[in-house]
Amino acid sequence: MSSIFTTRRSMALIAGAALAAVTLAGCSTADGSSADGPVEISYLTTNGDDSIATGEALIAAFEKENPDVKVTLNTRPGGAEGDNLVKTQLSTGEMDDVFFYNTGSLFQALNPDSTLVDLSDSDWVSDVTDGFKEVVSTDGGTYGAPLGASYAGGIAYNKKVFADLGIEIPTDWNSLVAAAQKIKAAGVTPIEQTYGDTWTSQIFLLTDFGNVLKQDPKWAEDYTANKAKFSDEPALDGFTHLQQVYDEGLLNADFASATAADGTAALADGSAAMYPMLSSFVLSTLMQNSPDAVSNIGFFAMPAENASDTTLTVWEPSAVYIPKTTEGAELDAAKKFVAFVNSPEGCAVQVENVVPGGPFSTSACSVPGDTPALVADIQAYIDADKSAAALEFLSPVKGPNLENISIEVGSGISSAKDGAAAYDDDVKKQAQQLGLKGW
Amino acid sequence: MSALTIRRWTVGTIAIFVSVVVFLVPFAFILITAAKTAPEASQLAFTWPAEWQLWNNIGAVIADRNGILVRAFINSLVLTVASVAVMVIFAAMVGYVLQRKRSRWNPIINFFVLAGLIVPPAVVPTIWVLQGLGIFKTLGGLILIEATFGLSFCILLFQAFVATIPRELDEAAVLDGAGPIRLFFRIVLPLLKPVIVTVIVVQSVAVFNDFANPLYFLPGDANATVQLTLYAYASSATSAGALNLLFADILLITIPPLIMYIFFNRQIVAGMTSGAIKG
Repeated sequence: MSSIFTTRRSMALIAGAALAAVTLAGCSTADGSSADGPVEISYLTTNGDDSIATGEALIAAFEKENPDVKVTLNTRPGGAEGDNLVKTQLSTGEMDDVFFYNTGSLFQALNPDSTLVDLSDSDWVSDVTDGFKEVVSTDGGTYGAPLGASYAGGIAYNKKVFADLGIEIPTDWNSLVAAAQKIKAAGVTPIEQTYGDTWTSQIFLLTDFGNVLKQDPKWAEDYTANKAKFSDEPALDGFTHLQQVYDEGLLNADFASATAADGTAALADGSAAMYPMLSSFVLSTLMQNSPDAVSNIGFFAMPAENASDTTLTVWEPSAVYIPKTTEGAELDAAKKFVAFVNSPEGCAVQVENVVPGGPFSTSACSVPGDTPALVADIQAYIDADKSAAALEFLSPVKGPNLENISIEVGSGISSAKDGAAAYDDDVKKQAQQLGLKGW
Repeated sequence: MSALTIRRWTVGTIAIFVSVVVFLVPFAFILITAAKTAPEASQLAFTWPAEWQLWNNIGAVIADRNGILVRAFINSLVLTVASVAVMVIFAAMVGYVLQRKRSRWNPIINFFVLAGLIVPPAVVPTIWVLQGLGIFKTLGGLILIEATFGLSFCILLFQAFVATIPRELDEAAVLDGAGPIRLFFRIVLPLLKPVIVTVIVVQSVAVFNDFANPLYFLPGDANATVQLTLYAYASSATSAGALNLLFADILLITIPPLIMYIFFNRQIVAGMTSGAIKG
């Protein structure tokens, strides 16, 4: 009896395996739309009350402006289940007319040239930042329009704790450690880590990438070509720093079991001083759970060994795409919808519903004046040109076991060198599956 | 008191204690988290809610997205009842014939029944078949999928149970002039009641709780089943999530199986044991 149930659960895996074998030839399902009467299109968004609320608001505003188009909202889960679903729907020709999905390497994995509609001749493309254009384009065209704001990875800190102890924002690694020691002496948790939510363990490494890129601008290309490794400098720093904060006892006592919500709460009430995290998560959690603390939380980039190398790592927002299976009147309506998302009216809806963890990626939208301190801090890095895109936007290579490996290093089970070597080994299999040259 | 009585009492007390911990504590946790405000619920603590928000949360979940949960309950109900009915009737017929009628086809049929248990279903080819038949994205298509995936297990249960019914009953009915259809529906099917209850319970729970099949084979919010409404409240990299609403949703979804258990309690236990001994 139990065997049937496990079989069912493993379906997601099977779907992935089947996809590898299946050619991504989307068989079109052109259902002849009636010329008269409203055109009906559907929009697929991901889970999370923010994206559902944004989707509903966008649709309401869009339908008001275009009474001849009717849009229905559909939702999907996020994470690996969502990736499988999107790939399945694309390969069976059943994708919604407009869909919301990640940019960067996950977008590249959709095989965009053969599954998505090229939008490079749309008007809104000229407003989009170059950084964003890069993560939704292939050599064959530009496929996505930004929806939502970008967000940064770095260290969120409690301003009051820093001010009470007279600590300046550290810009190099040694001053961060010195500051942490001082905070510890004052009886406050210096660095909050939350391995109860396993994905948060990678933040230390992923947010160090801006610093890596500053020291070696060609690192991402070399990494994709199997010439650069995490076991060598400068990328090794991320692992050694992760080990160091554990070795020196700078973490909260419950780092192994705390959740991201716990971490944000500890930061907000001042029982922890620094929390390496994504700005969007910290901000949206604060706004829900402790809105009074929002103005008291600032943000700075993960410090590099040398202050001059310290660079903020930025994640581009996700995008809306149109699959090739959308044709005729539906395609026109879908293109109108995508353009609306990036129009001033669409931006007004986005600003109202999205918690901006950073600036928008199109000049059509701007963060409203009363921005939280954390967003202003991020904007300062971007204005000073001290920001870089995260590794996942520059290289398709990402090993499936980074979470586990960083938990091992971050809780003293294995050393930084061993962890880095294990991760280099982990990505090898994935790079070979992608068929990259040099692996 | 004798040593035996003392031992009985301790074993009994421990058993009650364990079942309270295993069954009631998780349910209590769902209930109190569903009654909290969002900030309090996000701590996931086993504490009494500072503010009793249960009705507000349940109201919010029901009203959310134009009452998607109500639609989902109707869909899930239709899906569960229809697919379990198909499973019971067809599996009983197949199990009966396989057991009673020996022919050279039996090994081949048995092979396919076992294959249905062992071979994992692949999503993309299944969708192609459904598209070819024109029943993809329909509730009927998903009912067939659920029935197909559950049929093998049910056939094995029925086959084993039919072996315990004396063949003489069939013969007596035939001598009294019953045709094959009448024989099956009037004589055999009522005798299968214990195993039918087992199948209904096991498969209803499986179909009602299924997440992956509705997700892949019945996309679209108009077609949502109850389990698909859950992930809307989970957190993501850009959203804090709403654990109070998530648990309120879980609480509502748990009610139908709970009612079923309260009313069919005795039959379920009887059905389980009869299936266990003879299966």
